[in-house]
Amino acid sequence: MSITSLLNPPPLLVEIGPDWLKVRHGQDSAEFPLDHGPDGRLTALGKGKTAAALKNFLKAKDWRPRIRAWCAISSRGVSLRRLSLPGGAKEEFQQRLLLQIEAEFPLPPDELAWGCLPLGQSHPANGTLARQDLLVAAVRKTWVADYQELLRACGTEPVFTLAATARWNWCGQPADSFAMLDVGLRQSELTLFEKAVPTVSRIIYWDGKNASNPAAAPLETLAEAIKGSLTGSRLWVTGPAVSKEFTERLERLLGHGCNCERVENPPVGGSSAAILGLEKYAAQGATPALILRLEPGGSAATSLAALNWKTWGTRVGVLAAACVLLPYAEALLLKPHLERKVATFKADAERLKIIDRELDFLRGLKLSQPPYLDVLFVLSKSAPPGSRFDSLSLNSHGEVSLRGGFHDGQQVADFRNKLIASGFFTNVVVEEQVPTPDRQKVNVRMSAQERTAAELAAASAHLALDDTKNHEKAVAPGAVPATPSAPPISGKEAK
Amino acid sequence: MNRLQALTDREKRTLRFAGVGIAIYLALFGGFEVWKYVEAKRADYRQLALDAENLRQHTLPYRDKVQVVKKLMDEFHLDPARLKKASVVSDASAAIQKAARAGGVQLGPIRETPAHGSSATLATMQLESSGQAPAILSFLASLNTIGFPLVVDSVQLSADKNRPDQVKMNLTIIILNFEQPSESKEAVHA
Repeated sequence: MSITSLLNPPPLLVEIGPDWLKVRHGQDSAEFPLDHGPDGRLTALGKGKTAAALKNFLKAKDWRPRIRAWCAISSRGVSLRRLSLPGGAKEEFQQRLLLQIEAEFPLPPDELAWGCLPLGQSHPANGTLARQDLLVAAVRKTWVADYQELLRACGTEPVFTLAATARWNWCGQPADSFAMLDVGLRQSELTLFEKAVPTVSRIIYWDGKNASNPAAAPLETLAEAIKGSLTGSRLWVTGPAVSKEFTERLERLLGHGCNCERVENPPVGGSSAAILGLEKYAAQGATPALILRLEPGGSAATSLAALNWKTWGTRVGVLAAACVLLPYAEALLLKPHLERKVATFKADAERLKIIDRELDFLRGLKLSQPPYLDVLFVLSKSAPPGSRFDSLSLNSHGEVSLRGGFHDGQQVADFRNKLIASGFFTNVVVEEQVPTPDRQKVNVRMSAQERTAAELAAASAHLALDDTKNHEKAVAPGAVPATPSAPPISGKEAK
Repeated sequence: MNRLQALTDREKRTLRFAGVGIAIYLALFGGFEVWKYVEAKRADYRQLALDAENLRQHTLPYRDKVQVVKKLMDEFHLDPARLKKASVVSDASAAIQKAARAGGVQLGPIRETPAHGSSATLATMQLESSGQAPAILSFLASLNTIGFPLVVDSVQLSADKNRPDQVKMNLTIIILNFEQPSESKEAVHA
């Protein structure tokens, strides 16, 4: 079952017969007997039994939303009237309608379940209000109220309409004037339509048990009963046992060019034409045009009054208790789980120590790497052409010492100045400067101290930037720059 | 003869009141005890949840630390967890010699000195090598990435008098003890 069908279940389709209740919900169908008392109303015992059976059929749950139940009622006790009322404001029109219903029907509107179908406006004469034509269907309220109570007890929200309009929908909504005969086992129902509007609907007490065997069925009595009432030239015949021979024989008996057409037997087992018509409405997302209401306009007040305070009080109480108790339940239920997780984590905490140790070690290793290559690069960059290094010593304490030969003292001074200007060294000392015997060169012994790692990093960045600029200047415009290579120290530091 | 007298209505009422009173007392007492029990459980749980949250906060920086460790390991081509203290010196020596051979550097005498006083170092190696200047520099640069915790303590470069196009290099290499917290040598460059 999907979430959608859970929250928005398919409607329950119901046809209410004289002593039975046919239902269809989704793909399931069932028929339940009805027990009527001497007054024609449902007995309390029978109502309870039917409600229990229907509830079991629906598998209704209290927490689920109420299912919409489309109910098609038979014509027994139903009166149809065409009314024509002057138009006007909505409240005023409603008042007029109630007065008209009271005048037309034997019972006041309060005792009726009724509904109306607007048929359109008639053209007014000069100086008069336009008139609204209506079809009003009404039935004794107590009769419908029994079924409403029964269906509400099963967790549904019933909506009543005429079975004849549902059958009309199943027949494809013919728009002309015709008659429709539904042949049942104990009684039949004849409804006359004028331009697709039901005008008369009545019960014909004719035994249809032999309808499947037309030769044995007393069709003459049926034909006599309906012959005088027919309008139009077509009669649609529905019913579970109606056959082609049945309609052919009935057509012959009716005569006068009446064309009997059998509505195809419903392909779904247990479904009548009325239920299939309701199902067609549901599939189209439409609603029957004529709906019988028990309390027009007062549904909100009714539903509030019908609120089950005990049930809702229990729910509120359970919710409040859950709010109070859930933190304690959480503590009792989740504590073992949380303890296990914390214990597992603490056991894994050794890995964190390993990460710390490795990080410290690798960081220390990185900081311990003396920048020999950078120093060699600076020395080679600072050395003047023609100079010669005999030896060069570097160590991890940052001490640098070199021995070499230059052309003259000026070159030594320039070399020293460049070393200081590079930012790599402090304490650049010319420990010894001795001219060669031929006075052509100067032998030099120098020492220096590297700066701190942070200062070296800054100086390296500066040096790299300068080198890049110089390199770009050296490349001719439009020429492809050479790929940066290792520091150009070869050939100078130890010639 | 029945020695127990039948209870009067007054006595029955008294007993009923007493029973109700005792029941109320037991219900209140029991309820209080139950409430105390679950409240204690809840306090324990909250403390545990707090501990768990602290642990979570404690581990949050480790995501960044792991990234830094990975970066440094990639930089040095070095995974300390795979090194074995017993064989790291010999393996490092072999790797250095292999790197020298691969770079076209000729190796001379190699001397290993085990560390005695310091727990931060495992051994010190002194090696003499010679080769052309580019090869020597490449070899010097490759020592950082041969996969062992090495620090070049000193470098001595000099001209090879017998072969004018060659450079002689004396190296002192320290093999660090990767199982001990490293001592930063940042201050030595002062």
